[in-house]
Amino acid sequence: MLGYLLKRLTYTVPITLAVTVVCFLLVHIAPGDPLNAVAPADAPAEVVEALKAAYGFDRPLPVQYAKWLGRAVAGDLGRSVATGRPVAGEVLSAVGNTLLLAVVGGAAGFLGGTLLGCLAGYFHKTRIDRVASAISVVGVSVPHYWLGLLLTIIFSARLNWLPAMGAGPGGSGNWTWDLAHARHLVLPAITLSVIPMGIITRTVRALVAEVLSQEFVQALRAKGLRDGQVFTHVAKNVAPTALAVMGVQLGYLIGGSILVETVFAWPGTGFLLNIAIFQRDLPLLQGAILVLCLVFVGLNLLVDLIQPFIDPRMRRN
Amino acid sequence: MPKKLRDLFRWLAALPLTVVITIQTIAAAPATAETVARYGISMADIPLTTGQPDRGAGAYQFTGHTLYDPLIAWEANVGDRPGKLVPGLATEWKPDAKDPNRWVFTLRKGVKFHDGSTFNADAVIWNLAKVLDDKSPQFDPKQAAQVRPRIPSVAGYRKIDAFTVEITTKEPNSLFPYELPWFLISSPAQFEAIGRDWDKVASHPSGTGPFKLDKLVPRERAELVRNPDYWDPQRRPQTDRIILLPIPDALTRTNALLTGQVDIIEAPAPDTVPQLEKSGFRIVKNVTPHVWPYHFSLLPGSPWQDIRVRKAANLAIDRSAIVALLNGLATPAKGQLDPSSPWFGKPSFDIRYDPDEARRLMKEAGYSKDKPLKAKIIIAQGGTGQMLSLPMNEFVQQSLAEIGIDIDFEVVELENLYLHWRAGANAEMNKDKGITAINLAYVTADPFYALVRFMDSHYVAPNGVNWGWYKDDAVDAILAKNKTTFDTRRQDENLARIHEYMVNNALMLWVVHDVNPHALSPRVKGFVQAQHWFQDLTTIRVE
Amino acid sequence: MSVTALATSSAAPPVAATARSRGYWSGVGRRILRDPLTMGCAGVLLLIAAAAVLAPWILPVDPYKTSMLHRLAPMGSAGYLLGADELGRDMAARLIHGGRLSLMLGVLPVVFAFVIGGSIGILAGFAGGWLNMVLMRSLDVFYAFPSVLLAVAISGALGSGMSNSIIALTVVFVPQISRVAESVTTQVRSLDYVEAARMSGASAFTIIRAHVLGNVMGPIFVYATGLVSVSLILGSGLSFLGLGVKPPEPEWGLMLTTLRSAIYVNPAVAALPGAMIFVTSMCFNLMADGIRSAMDTKA
Repeated sequence: MLGYLLKRLTYTVPITLAVTVVCFLLVHIAPGDPLNAVAPADAPAEVVEALKAAYGFDRPLPVQYAKWLGRAVAGDLGRSVATGRPVAGEVLSAVGNTLLLAVVGGAAGFLGGTLLGCLAGYFHKTRIDRVASAISVVGVSVPHYWLGLLLTIIFSARLNWLPAMGAGPGGSGNWTWDLAHARHLVLPAITLSVIPMGIITRTVRALVAEVLSQEFVQALRAKGLRDGQVFTHVAKNVAPTALAVMGVQLGYLIGGSILVETVFAWPGTGFLLNIAIFQRDLPLLQGAILVLCLVFVGLNLLVDLIQPFIDPRMRRN
Repeated sequence: MPKKLRDLFRWLAALPLTVVITIQTIAAAPATAETVARYGISMADIPLTTGQPDRGAGAYQFTGHTLYDPLIAWEANVGDRPGKLVPGLATEWKPDAKDPNRWVFTLRKGVKFHDGSTFNADAVIWNLAKVLDDKSPQFDPKQAAQVRPRIPSVAGYRKIDAFTVEITTKEPNSLFPYELPWFLISSPAQFEAIGRDWDKVASHPSGTGPFKLDKLVPRERAELVRNPDYWDPQRRPQTDRIILLPIPDALTRTNALLTGQVDIIEAPAPDTVPQLEKSGFRIVKNVTPHVWPYHFSLLPGSPWQDIRVRKAANLAIDRSAIVALLNGLATPAKGQLDPSSPWFGKPSFDIRYDPDEARRLMKEAGYSKDKPLKAKIIIAQGGTGQMLSLPMNEFVQQSLAEIGIDIDFEVVELENLYLHWRAGANAEMNKDKGITAINLAYVTADPFYALVRFMDSHYVAPNGVNWGWYKDDAVDAILAKNKTTFDTRRQDENLARIHEYMVNNALMLWVVHDVNPHALSPRVKGFVQAQHWFQDLTTIRVE
Repeated sequence: MSVTALATSSAAPPVAATARSRGYWSGVGRRILRDPLTMGCAGVLLLIAAAAVLAPWILPVDPYKTSMLHRLAPMGSAGYLLGADELGRDMAARLIHGGRLSLMLGVLPVVFAFVIGGSIGILAGFAGGWLNMVLMRSLDVFYAFPSVLLAVAISGALGSGMSNSIIALTVVFVPQISRVAESVTTQVRSLDYVEAARMSGASAFTIIRAHVLGNVMGPIFVYATGLVSVSLILGSGLSFLGLGVKPPEPEWGLMLTTLRSAIYVNPAVAALPGAMIFVTSMCFNLMADGIRSAMDTKA
C-alpha cells in the first residue's frame, strides 16, 4: 500500500516535467510574430525590436525554456504581452473561477447522474431504465456550447429569469455565496453538467445492475433482506468507482470548460485561453495551459491516492 | 406512505417557485442614491489605464479622455455636427511667426491631478519624455508604442516658463494640432508616489480628467467615478459611476443588455436590432469617421490602373443592400468622407449605384461579363472596424461579377492584413500573390488619417501607407502648400480639393461608413453620440 | 468538457478471453441486425453520409451562392426548403454539404488515431519490456492534458483550418487508442495458444497477423466508434471557437457560430446546425453502444 502510494507519487515528477516541455514548445510552434498583440499596426521597427528584447523573445529556445521554467518554479509565469500584468496572478484568479464553475457543474452532474443511474440500474431493462439511459445518451451527445446558447436565449433573453453572462454583479473578485451571485452560476453549471451527468449515469447504471444481478445479492433478497439493506450493499460497491470516475470528470471539466466559459463570458481560464490564443499572447497562453495541466495532474494524483482508502477491493491487493 | 409521498412532491414542486420568487426579489434590490451606468464594451479587455490607451482609437473614450486630458482636445460632446479641435490642458497654441516649426502652448492654470498635485509645464515635459525619451526614468515602452505613431511630427520640446511650453516639429506642419488629442497627460507625482512602476499605476492612475478610476479588475471591469473638481464645468459627468465591462462577443453583449446586466452597449449584433427595438431599447447611431473601402494598387500591371475600371467598380455596388444587410447600421459612402465633412468638397464624380453606366465603362475598357477582368483582393477574416467582413466582401464580389470584374480573395487574419498593408502594393508579399487591392477599414478622423497619408506621394512604403503608390504632382503641391497654411478655413479648402482629387480619380472603391451603433436601455436618458470614434462619457445620464 | 472520458469509462473493451472465430463475428453481425435501435441509427448515419457524398446530385443548389434578398428566409419559403442563412445561402444545401466537412472532422481523426494508435499499442503490447515502457510512458504525457485543452492548445498553436483541426484531434485520440490496444494485446499475448505459437518459433509478424490482430481489432474498433461522436463535437467546437474550419466553408460548427446572432430573427434556422451535430453524434453513440453490446458475449 505504502509502496503503491510512493510509486504513484514519484511517477508524477517526470510527467510534470514533460508537461512543462510540451507547454513551452506548444506555443513556440505557433506561426506569427508574438508582438503583433502589443505594437500598433504602424509601430516603427525599432519600437518592435525594443519590445522583443524586453520580453526575451530574441533568445534561443532552450535558453528561453530554462529561464521560463526556473521562474515558473518560483511562481513567476512572466508578464502578459498584451497587458503587461503578471501572468501568475491573472491565471490564478481565473483558475479560482473555473474551479468554482467546475465543482458546481460537476456536483450537479454527479448528483443527477447517480440518481438516474441508480434508477436505471434498479429498474434494469424496464421503461424507467430506457428513459434514464436516453437522457444519458442525450447528455453525452449534445454539443454543450449549443445547449448553452439555447439556455441563454430561453432563460435570459426571453424569460429574463437568469443573467446571460459574467460571474456575479460585482465581478469575480468578490464572489460571495448569496443568491445574487449564485444566479450567475445556474446556466453555465447546468450546461457544464450534462456530459458528466451522462457518463456517471452510464457508469452507475452498469454497476448497480451488475451488483444486483450477483447471485449472493439475489440470494439475500430471496431470504427477505430489506431493500434498504440491499441498497447499502449496492452503494458500498458502486461509490468508489463512481467517485473515481467523477474525479477524472472534474479534471476534464476544469481543463475543458473553455467552450462553456466562452458562451457565458465566465471569467475563468477558458475565457483567458481564448483571449490569449487570439491575441497571440504567448506568456499568458503558456501560463494558462501550464497551470491547468498542473491542476489536472494533481487531481488525477489525488484520485489515485484516495482510491485505495475508499475502495476495499484495492486495499486488499 | 402515499400521503407522505404526495407531500414530498408538493414540497418539491414549491421549491423552484420559491427560488424564482427569491431571485426576483433580489433582482429588484433597492436603488442606491448613487447613479450608476453599466457599459458593455466590445473590447476583450479594459484598455491600458496608465495614460495612453491601447486597443485603437475606440479605446480613448473609455480609459483615455475619461481619466486624462490632452493639450488640445476634440469636441466630443456634440452630435449634430462634426466636432472640432478645442482647448484642453492648453488654452492657446500657435506657431511662431518666424519659425513655423516652433509651436508655443499656453497651459491652463489651476488644474489639479486626481492625486492633488498641480498640472504645469514640468508635467507636460515629463509626459513627452515618458513616451519619446527612452533614457528618461519614466519612459514606458507600452505607452510609447501606442502614441509615437500618432505624434510623428514632434522633434523636440522645451519648457519656457511654469505655464508655457514649446514643441518643435520636424518640418512645418499646419496639421500638427490634430495629432495632439492622442497625447494624454498623466501625473508625475503619482508615478513617483507609487514607486515608479507603470504596472502599479495601472490600478491607481491619476490624470486630470472628468472621471477617476475607482476599481480595476483586469479583463472584467473598470469602475470610473465622477471627479467633482473637474476644471471644465461643461464636462462634469452626469452619472456618479460608470462601470465598463468588456464583452467582446456581440451576441453576449446584446443578451447582457436584454437581461438588464448592462445599461448601454457598443456595437449590438446587427441581426439583434429588431429584437432590441421591440423590447424597448434605443439604438443610437451617428455619422462616424470610418470607411470600408477597397484600396487599389495603381502600379504597372494592376488592372486598376485604368480609371474607367475604378469608376465602374464604384458604380457597381448597391450600397443600400449592404446597409440593409447590416440592419441599417451603416451609411452608403459617397467618397472617402461623409458629405457633411468640411473636407468633402464638391467632387464631380458622383458615387452611386448605376450598373448600366458601370457596364458601359467596362465595355469601353475592353471587358464584359463574358470576357471579365480578373483581380485578387486581400481581405481580413474579421476584426475591429472590418464590420461583417466576409458577408460584405462576398456581396461586393457578386456585384462586381455582374459588370465583368471577377475578383478572388486572399483571406488572412487582421494582424496579417496589417503587414500586407504596411508593406505597400509594391512589396513582394503582395506582388507575388498578384494582390492588387486591399480591403482594410480606415479611420478618417483627421486630415492626416483621412487624406494625407493616402494621397501624398512621399508616404509610399516604407515611409507610410500610400498603399497603391498614388502620385499626382498637383496633389503634392497642394499638400506642400497646406503644411504652412495655418488658417483653419483655408486649410479646410485645401483639404476639400484633395478629397475632390481622390474621388474624381476613384482612388478606392468606397462602400460604406460605419455608424458606431450603441444600444441603450430605457434607463439611459441622456447620451450624446459624437461624429467620431472619440466619445464623451460625461454625457451619459441614467435614471 | 469531458467528452473523451465518455469512451474511457464506458467502453471498457471486452476482454479477449477466447479466440474470435468466424462464428463469433457472424454472431455479432446477427445480433446487430436484430437490434432495431442500432440499425435505425446506422440508417440515419448512412442517409447523412450518402447525402453529403452525393450532395451536388441530390440538391443541385450552390451552397456558397449568397442572396441579400433572401437572408434569413424562414423554413419552407419558396426555393428555400430549410430557409436561408445570414447571407441568404440555402440552408438545406449548406447542411448537406456541411455534412462532408463535419463527418470528416468526426471520422478522419479517429481513423488516423486508429491506425497510428493501434499500431503503437499493438507494438508496445506485443514487444513488452522496455519498448512498451518507453512508448506507453511517453504517451502518458498526453494524458496529463485534459483532452479539450490539448485540442484547443494545438489548434491555437497551429492556427485555424480544417487540416490543423484534424491533426489536433488525432493527437488527442492516439494515446487513448494506444492504451486500449496495448492492454488488449498484452492480454492476448499471454493466452496459452499464442504462447504456444511463440514457443514453436512462429515469426512475430505471423503471430500478430494470425492471432493478435483478430482478437485486438474488435475491442479497438468498439472503442474507436465511441470516439467518433467525441471527435465530431470537439471538432465542431473548435470551429465554434474560430479555431477550426474557415469561412465560407459550410461546416456545422461554423454555421452554428455565424448563425448565432440570427437566433432572434429566425430561431428555427439558427438552431439547425446544432441540431445536426446533436443528431449525428447521438446516432454514433447509440450505434457504438449497440456494437459494444453485440460483441459482449456475456450480455
